[in-house]
Amino acid sequence: MNSTKKKILVVDDSKTALMMVTTILKKAPYALVTAHDGQHALEVAAAERPDLILMDVIMPRMTGFEACRELKRSEDTKSIPVILVTTRGEEENVEAGFECGCNDYVTKPVNAQELLTKVRDHIAG
Amino acid sequence: MRTKKNDHGAYVRKIQEGTTSFTQDLLGEIERLHLLVAALEAEREGLTERARDLQETVSANEALRALCASLEAEMNRLHEQAIALRTENERHQKESSRLKAQFEATRAESQRYSARYAEIEQQNSNLANLYVASYRLHGTLERREVIDALQEIIANLVGSEEAGLYEVNATTGDLDLLASFGLPTDWPRTIARGEGHIGRAVAAGEIYVADPAQAAERAPLERELTACVPLSLAGRVIGAIAVFRLLPQKPGIEDVDRELFELLATHAATALYCSGLHAKAQPAETVA
Repeated sequence: MNSTKKKILVVDDSKTALMMVTTILKKAPYALVTAHDGQHALEVAAAERPDLILMDVIMPRMTGFEACRELKRSEDTKSIPVILVTTRGEEENVEAGFECGCNDYVTKPVNAQELLTKVRDHIAG
Repeated sequence: MRTKKNDHGAYVRKIQEGTTSFTQDLLGEIERLHLLVAALEAEREGLTERARDLQETVSANEALRALCASLEAEMNRLHEQAIALRTENERHQKESSRLKAQFEATRAESQRYSARYAEIEQQNSNLANLYVASYRLHGTLERREVIDALQEIIANLVGSEEAGLYEVNATTGDLDLLASFGLPTDWPRTIARGEGHIGRAVAAGEIYVADPAQAAERAPLERELTACVPLSLAGRVIGAIAVFRLLPQKPGIEDVDRELFELLATHAATALYCSGLHAKAQPAETVA
């Protein structure tokens, strides 16, 4: 049963944010894997090959922007859609995200409906 | 004698002349009659022709009459059909009106359900927020982790980029800054008891949500204050969370934030208190 579920990698150093996002996504039929920083996300993405990555921007060791750039540079992971979770939704911040190759973004505090809609859109596409 | 003969000759001539004249008249009459017969023959032929034409006209007229009769019958049939169609059309119009009304009712009901669904989804989301906050606060007895969880809740669930966590000083009753994020490094470490909106909220033990329109009227340190949540345990305020600037995309404090503040007011107090007790108990346990 689980093999048919789309897999989502959720990356956040905040346990609260991670729990919040996974609580929202658990309602939908997705298999979830988590990572707690950018570097860890690269390792998990390479091993798990998720269908989508949902990643916080501000994290220790490697930021979401850097991790996104690395993911898009790798042949193995460049096709995985990346949604960045940004603290600030200002234009320059969003532009920086898209320059790193992210496919979309959501702002904090995360709105459950918005998140689910964007995840559905990118996983379906 | 000669006279007699002459008379007889005259008579014969006269007779001859009369006969000749009669014959000529007769021939003339015969000629006239011939002409008359020819004229009558021609007239008869004309009349026969006319009679044939009339007969054809009569036949055509009868055919037209039959056609008219069939057309009238067709017209009557069509008229009856039109009446039937009109009746059916009226019935369809009534049915259409009924279906339209039913469709409108269904659409209104669907909209009600959609709105209700969105409302329930929002409630679910709000409950998820409260669940996560509660779980994070009570998921540890480590004071540092409780404080981190509180800050993460304010940052991620409320959507604030500046906040301070205060603890009531048991000796002075003032508020000591326990932890903060986003605030300047020279931010005052203590707020005197009853001072400003934060001090007054703590003294009253009631959540304070600032009116952004009155920001200019507040003291400089509290100009960006969004809310102050006194942390109460068994009716006693042991600390407070001061939420300052919200994230730019956050329009203001919403109902879910107020519910979260209500939860934090008691659960954060309990978590902080328990983690404090745990911290105090640790060395004793270690010694034991």
